Amino acid sequence: MLDLARLQFAVTGSLHFLFVVLTLGMAPLVAIMQTRHAISGKPVFERMTRFWGQIYVINYALGVFTGLVMEFQFGLSWGGLTHFAGDVFGAPLAIESLVAFFLESTFLGLWIFGWNRLPKRLHLACIWLVTLTAYASAFWIMVANSFLQHPAGSVRRGDHLVLTDFSALLTNPSLLMAFPHVIGAGLFAGSFVIIGASAYQLFRRTPEQEFFRRSLRTGVVWAFVGTNLAVGFGYAQFAFVGDIQPDKFKGALPGAALGNMILIGQLVHTIVMFVLLPLLFRNLLARARWMHPVLMLMTPLPFVAAILGWLTREVGRQPWLVYGRLTVADAMSPGLTKEMVTLSFAAFAGVLGLLALADYLLIARVVRRGPTQVDLGAAEPAEPSPEPALVL
Amino acid sequence: MEIIWLAILGVLLIGYFALEGFDIGVGMMLPVLSRARERAGEPGPRRRHRDRLVAAMAPFVLANEIWLIAAAGTLFGAFPSLEGTVVNGLYPVVVALLVSWILRDAGLWFRRRLDGAAWGAFWDAILCAASWGLALSWGVALASVVRGLPDRPFDLIGLLYGAVVAAAFAFHGRAFTVWRLSGPSEARGTGRRLRLSAAVAALPVAVPLVLLAPALLDHAAPSATLNVLNLIVLPVTPIMVAAQVWVWRTFGPIRSAGATTAIPSFF
Repeated sequence: MLDLARLQFAVTGSLHFLFVVLTLGMAPLVAIMQTRHAISGKPVFERMTRFWGQIYVINYALGVFTGLVMEFQFGLSWGGLTHFAGDVFGAPLAIESLVAFFLESTFLGLWIFGWNRLPKRLHLACIWLVTLTAYASAFWIMVANSFLQHPAGSVRRGDHLVLTDFSALLTNPSLLMAFPHVIGAGLFAGSFVIIGASAYQLFRRTPEQEFFRRSLRTGVVWAFVGTNLAVGFGYAQFAFVGDIQPDKFKGALPGAALGNMILIGQLVHTIVMFVLLPLLFRNLLARARWMHPVLMLMTPLPFVAAILGWLTREVGRQPWLVYGRLTVADAMSPGLTKEMVTLSFAAFAGVLGLLALADYLLIARVVRRGPTQVDLGAAEPAEPSPEPALVL
Repeated sequence: MEIIWLAILGVLLIGYFALEGFDIGVGMMLPVLSRARERAGEPGPRRRHRDRLVAAMAPFVLANEIWLIAAAGTLFGAFPSLEGTVVNGLYPVVVALLVSWILRDAGLWFRRRLDGAAWGAFWDAILCAASWGLALSWGVALASVVRGLPDRPFDLIGLLYGAVVAAAFAFHGRAFTVWRLSGPSEARGTGRRLRLSAAVAALPVAVPLVLLAPALLDHAAPSATLNVLNLIVLPVTPIMVAAQVWVWRTFGPIRSAGATTAIPSFF
């Protein structure tokens, strides 16, 4: 049963991260496109914002669905964690949902539905606020996760941990290099989706060559930034891990996952730096049609690397849930039965798996149809003036 | 200080029922309301009526459902010893609630992503059924918490309370569509009626909260934890309130577009 509960968390967590890592990468790139439109006034940037924005929001939906399950799963299966460490671990999670995600969701609603309705500058501000709060969400989640890796800022009193030093949670060595690593991984994923989709459209020689040439450039430049951050802050973590979790990579699975993640990271980083980036000169990359299928095939790599990274970090923590303090076995909710876990696992994995599949097919369809038919930001029929809303 | 966090939890849960209540209500009433519009002689196919009803609530959904995520976060951060007990004690109800919530949201996000009529009708059916599932799960959950987490939460009392919640949400959902979609001639008083129906929708959670307040206070996190939450959360609260007010100021009643005009909406 313990294995089943762990598997449930691993499956929903991995699904969540597949979508969240793209959200983290796409949000700033869409914000940059919209900013370039605001500055230059060129229509191509507005079309880019809507097209890549539509992919971003379709992806965002699944990030939320899987995230809901994550938030409640602690209480469902891991009641021992809240009893033992809730006074410490609960605070960053509460701040994440109460502040960061609350604002992210509210501003995203304003951005999606406020198109052609909000003044242009305020609408642009919305997507930047979405990006900022998405990063804040990632930060607080990483604070909570880093506490599980290295329970800083707390002492044991009786049968539970109490918070003694909040700043130690924020300067946790397990957090400092891992957070920019995740941000880099997000940009890596977001830019490679843009590169892969652009390569597909360029390869098919659709009429949108100019649109996807520009998109490909944006993708490659940010892939350079993203892979640099991910690889740089990836290696930087070795400086700490040996001290706080000496046996982290000793297991077969964490060791293999780490090796393969590094392989992907190094390979892609090298290709981006020495091949893709130089080939932006005179749009050589956009014109090199034989390269485009290769770029399309590379699109899943950042996602594979992201999952391998999480496997390294979380499986390497076993058998501890809170490293050195609480084992995973002791953290299970008392009174949990095999039927309960089986039922919820079937329900969550079945529903989320099908929805994830549908979501990826919908994204693929948006990519195939190209920027001429985009729902996001479609013009409204002329309205003289919006009625004043209900005053709160 | 515990009292501040109890108040925050209360405001978030009551706010969730008062706001998200109308989204759930519109979802539940989607077939009824769209047929009523048809019978009232509004032109256009039934699918168009459903689109219009969903478009009416669409800009609010993301800003409304987030109140529950924030409430769950508050429970986790400020009342951690209770979170495990309550969520685990409600295991099957929480699973039903989460699955309903996810499917309701999937209905909204997916219904207009393909053009075919069957695709839209399929997700609208999911949207409606999952909205019912959400309302009923909430009733069962609240009835269960008030009775001290009985072993079999899906009993008659639980389902009856589910019916109460569903009725309140349906009433609220209808009042919302009247407020957002009625023409200039019938618009008088719809805002006041919406506020009244919001109070009705909030009642099923407000009463249990008052009953449970003393027990909740006993389970608050120690002051070291609450201090941290105060430090980070309270300064940002005005921004959160402002963001919510901004949503309501941006999306007012849709009056000028005629009944036949499609409202372009992402949902």
